[in-house]
Amino acid sequence: MATTTPNYGWDVPTSTDYVKDGATAIETLGDDIDATLWTALGGAYPGLRLVKTQTIGTAVSAVTVTSAFSATYQAYKVIVSGGSSSTIQILSLSFPSNTTGYYWSAKNLSWTGTTADYTGNNVGSFGRTGYFTPDHIHANFELVNPFLNKNTFYTATYIAAIAGGDGAYTTGALLNTNSLTSFTLTAGGGTLTGGTIAVYGYGIS
Amino acid sequence: MTKPFIQIDDEIREMTDEEYADYQAIIDDNSNTTPTQ
Repeated sequence: MATTTPNYGWDVPTSTDYVKDGATAIETLGDDIDATLWTALGGAYPGLRLVKTQTIGTAVSAVTVTSAFSATYQAYKVIVSGGSSSTIQILSLSFPSNTTGYYWSAKNLSWTGTTADYTGNNVGSFGRTGYFTPDHIHANFELVNPFLNKNTFYTATYIAAIAGGDGAYTTGALLNTNSLTSFTLTAGGGTLTGGTIAVYGYGIS
Repeated sequence: MTKPFIQIDDEIREMTDEEYADYQAIIDDNSNTTPTQ
């Protein structure tokens, strides 16, 4: 005689049930687990989920991450951590085969209170995406709509983490309707070594 | 002249002429926003 599990009430057979009914029992149990997980997690791809990571190699001037964006998610968060460089410079963001159409602005405030504005008007990349020094490589940005045939929206938290540095909230848009699957981070000078690029997707179902 | 190296996923190689042109354009675009330190 079938019974249920103590916590979620999943239907399971008992030791005296017929073996011939085993396939049906497994199907029923599977459906119960599926329903519980769907409810508990909030859908098939809920919340913020890791899409992929890429370790940065040695002494590279640009890094392209492929298969980052897909129909599964409409919005993404990318974080670059760890790593090092022989110099101090900025990281720029671009998308392969998209060499124009980037519009962006950043309002910077230095640690001493000095303001500076930076802009890009139909240029070939988003500027002020990230920053790197001999201590670290850092970027923290979000993209909305990269895979959809719509404009791609971009926001980045830029932190020049040095004495005499500054911080900025960078915003922008790629004003075309191309479907993007990859992105490239380009060093403004010098090279990058080590560190991790992590791509997360914001679930909507 | 040896061109800079580009990494595409796990592959690291010298940039092609086209990639180098794109790279140089990005560097030039952002030259006014680079750190002064």
